[in-house]
Parts: sequence; structure tokens; C-alpha cells
Amino acid sequence: MSMDAVLFWFLSIVVIGAGLSVVLMSNPIYSALSLVMTMVGVAALFATLNAYFLAGVQLIVYTGAVMVLFVMVLMLFDLKRELQAFSRGKITGFFKIAGVGVLAGLLVGVITFTTQKTSLIAEGSPLAADIAAQAASGADNTKILSENLFLKNILGFELLGVLLLVIAIGVVALSRSKGGTHARD
Amino acid sequence: MSSMGTTTFEIVINLVKTVLIFLMMVQAVPILVWLERRGSGFIQNRFGPNRVGPLGLVQLLADAVKFLNKEDFVPDKGNRFLFYAAPVFALIPAAVAFMAIPMSTPLTVGDSTFLIQGYEVNIGIVFILGISAMAVYTMLMAGWGSSSKFSLMGAMRAAAQVISYELALGLAIVGVILVYGTFNLTEMIVAQQGPLRFSGFGFDFVAPTAFLPNWGIFFQPLGAILLFCAAFAESNRLPFDLAEGEAELVAGFHTEYGGFKMLMFFIGEYGHMMIAAGLMTTFYFGGYGIPGWTTQEVYAAGLSMFGNETAASVFNTAIHFLSFNIKFAIFLWIFIHVRWTLPRFRYDQLMDIGWKTMLPWALFNTILTATVIFLASQYIIG
Repeated sequence: MSMDAVLFWFLSIVVIGAGLSVVLMSNPIYSALSLVMTMVGVAALFATLNAYFLAGVQLIVYTGAVMVLFVMVLMLFDLKRELQAFSRGKITGFFKIAGVGVLAGLLVGVITFTTQKTSLIAEGSPLAADIAAQAASGADNTKILSENLFLKNILGFELLGVLLLVIAIGVVALSRSKGGTHARD
Repeated sequence: MSSMGTTTFEIVINLVKTVLIFLMMVQAVPILVWLERRGSGFIQNRFGPNRVGPLGLVQLLADAVKFLNKEDFVPDKGNRFLFYAAPVFALIPAAVAFMAIPMSTPLTVGDSTFLIQGYEVNIGIVFILGISAMAVYTMLMAGWGSSSKFSLMGAMRAAAQVISYELALGLAIVGVILVYGTFNLTEMIVAQQGPLRFSGFGFDFVAPTAFLPNWGIFFQPLGAILLFCAAFAESNRLPFDLAEGEAELVAGFHTEYGGFKMLMFFIGEYGHMMIAAGLMTTFYFGGYGIPGWTTQEVYAAGLSMFGNETAASVFNTAIHFLSFNIKFAIFLWIFIHVRWTLPRFRYDQLMDIGWKTMLPWALFNTILTATVIFLASQYIIG
């Protein structure tokens, strides 16, 4: 088995194991920390696929910012009632097993789908040409990514930026409403 | 370029380097602690530890023995698993990020070339930022796992502070990326070799003396200041050590820790200081480069001195390693000197500086750099 294969199987097991423990852990803190582990594993998988920039951004944005806020908020709650509510009961147990079943089905589906078709990218398409050019030029795919974002798809990129700005303003407006967001409760 | 290596030999060398750099980092900590204690004594007009060994150098060995013999204490209502895991995880981000910093020119022996860094990543900066951002989790795990109000408050403060200053840190680095046009740390150092030069607006300027180096500090002075300030906040050192403000929080997120577990948090903190010093050296002060001599000139000098290519390469690597370490040590000393010079900020002042002062200035620096680079390449003056 080559080194890449060893890495791939190791990281896959870590990611799937961490992902499963997100839903199976009774303590929300452990779930959140497992989600962090999943994100790190996915970033490492990106790195093995030579998508270094994506891996770095995944680390900075998801593990460095988004998940920190998740964990911070969870730590400020009183988790004793959550523990009781989620660790017992036939109904929650049924949902857990059903969730695992759906996930396993999805995994099997994805694996069979990807092994039946050799490549998801049609031959002769512009994307295939891009990938071939990138493979020929070396591993500097950050440049190709930025050219794609800022030259080819600039309109979509700017629209997404405007959308994010709207969200940011909305959050500020909501948080400044008198009495907080729970004023009507 | 591949970070794992393809042959068994490369993989073994990479593993050895990983262990070696981790040990280097851990071994530098006792020296830094000694420097910090003796330095604070020097600044405050007292002696500091001077009894054990020459100049008190063996004091830290005695301390380590004491730490190992302390009672292994876990709070009664704390979370055992997180309480034990946090100090171990504190070492990982610091060590992994530090490995990506190039410390000298590649060493060539026969057909093989050895990089004097843990591994070369094409996106060096993004990788280092991403990995060192994960240090927040160790603080949160320690704070929550201790199940104490002081610890939790300290952890929350520390996390909020680190996330806030990460923005200013990242934006200050954007200017550097724009100037050099690469994410790769080695390429940045190569770009800073030789005398100061600037081409644009239709003319080329080269410094008359070779001893005025082409360092990033001349192109990004504002970015350098912002990065250095943000690095203080990131490594939780004075004047930004709100996380452990002892007047309010006993000792912040590590209130409940003692003995060797406490020491591991210490090593992690010093590791972040080392990353900051290494990044300052690499981005703004020419990395391992020596002002006045390029790496090729040093290699040629070594070749004429020893008449042997391997010896010349070893000489070249050793000289540049020394050069890197001198700059690195100067920055570490500035870190220590600032700690014993400035008082701590208030919490609201800390947030004001981060969000209302440093972030706008970093944005301004980015826009200014981009504008100047664009104009210099497009327009001709005179």
C-alpha cells in the first residue's frame, strides 16, 4: 500500500469516527469537539488532494472561527439537563439508530456511485482541460483558484460578498433590538 | 515539494526532523524562562535566580524536577478527560506551526537535499495561521474541564481575545503576500536577498550599498507593527495577558493546573512566542539572509575555503542558521522586554484596540499596498 493510500485510509477513519461521535456523544461539548476533529480531518484530506489553499482556509474559517464560537456558546450553558434529555429514552434512541442507518446508506451509495463511474468530470470539458493544465504547470493551484474567482466569476463573487454584508448588517440590527432577541418571549 | 516524501529514506528523514524540531522548541523553553527571570531581575534592578549552577542556569532543571514531583491534582467536579487532554493539546499547534518556518538554506550532501524546516508547504502563511488558530481549543478545554468560574471566565476571555486579534494578524499579512506575490515562506526569503531595490513608475532604484538589505520592513512598516502587536495578543503576553489577569481571575484558564501540566501550557505559550518571532524574521527581516551577502556568495566563499562542495554546503547552512537564530533571539528578547515594561490593558481597551484601531489600520495597509503595487506597474512618472 502506498503512503498516500495509508494516509487516505487513516484520515477517512478519523473523519468518519469523529463524525459519528458528533451524533452519538451524549455530552454536547464532546459532540462539538468531535465536529472540530472532523473539520481538521477534512482539511487534512484536502491537503492530500493537493488543495492546500482550501485546506488552509478550512482550518482558519471552520476550526479557527466558526467552531470556536460553537464551543464557547455551549460552554456557557448549563448542560446537565441536556445530558438527561439526550442520553435516555426509546424515541431518541430510535432517532439515533435511524440517523446512523441513513448515514451508512448515504456512504454506501456514494462509494458505489463513485466506483461505478471512473471519473465524474466529462472528458473534453473546459474543467478537464483546466485540471490537465494545472497538473502540467505544477502545484500552484492557489493562483488558478484566484483567477477563477476574481476574473472569470467576479459577478458571482461580488454578489456573495453583498449577501454576506446584508447578513452582517442584519445580525447587528437584531442584536441591537431593545431588550435583546428574546424580548417578546 | 511533497510534504510526506516518496521513498522510505525521505519519510524517515521527515519523521526525524519532526521529532528534532519539536525537541528544539521544548529545549528552548528553559533557556527562555531563565532569560525571562534573569531579564526581569535586570530590568527591575534585582538579581533573579542566581544560586543553582553558573548564573543560575541550572535553576530550570531544579524546577522541572520539582514540577514532576508535585501532586497530580484533578478538581473534584471537573471533567477528567478534558482536564488531562488540554495540556497535551497545548503543545501540538505550536510545534506543528513552528515546523513550517524555514530556518536555513537547504543542505546538500551528494545527491540529496535536506530542507532545514519540518516540511515545505506551498501555502506556508495560511497553514501557520490555521494551525496556530487551533490553540484556542486547548484554553477552552482547560477552562471548561476545570469546572471553576475563574477558569471558565479566563478561557472565554482568552478565546475572544485570540479570535479578535487573528483578524488584524491575518489582514496585516495580506500586505506581505501582495508585496512578494507568494504564500511560500522560502520564496519570500529568496525575494529579500541582495541590496534594497524597487522598480516601478518607470524607473529602477537600487540601493548604493549592498549593506542596505532588501527587507520587507522597508516595504511594509505599518504591517510589521500591526503583526507584531497582534502577535503579543495571540500569544497571551503582556500587555495583552487579560486571560490570566491575576488581580481579577487568579490565573485564568489554568487556575486549577499545577506541576507538569502547568509547565506544558507554559511551553505552548512560549511556542507561540517563537512562531511570532520566526514570522517577524521571515516576513520583514530577511529570514535567514545576511545583509551584504547573498546565499550564493556565502556558498562560494565556503567553496574557496574548503574546496569541497559538501563542506561548503554545510558551512552555508550553518552560517545562515546562525543568522536566523540571531534575528529570532532579538525578537524573543523584545517580547520579554515588553512584558516587563508595559502594564496590562483593561478588557474594554483591549477590544477597542483590536476592533476599532488595528483592524481599520490593517485594512488601510492592505488597500494602500494594493493601490501602490497596481499604480507602480501601470503608470510612469516623468
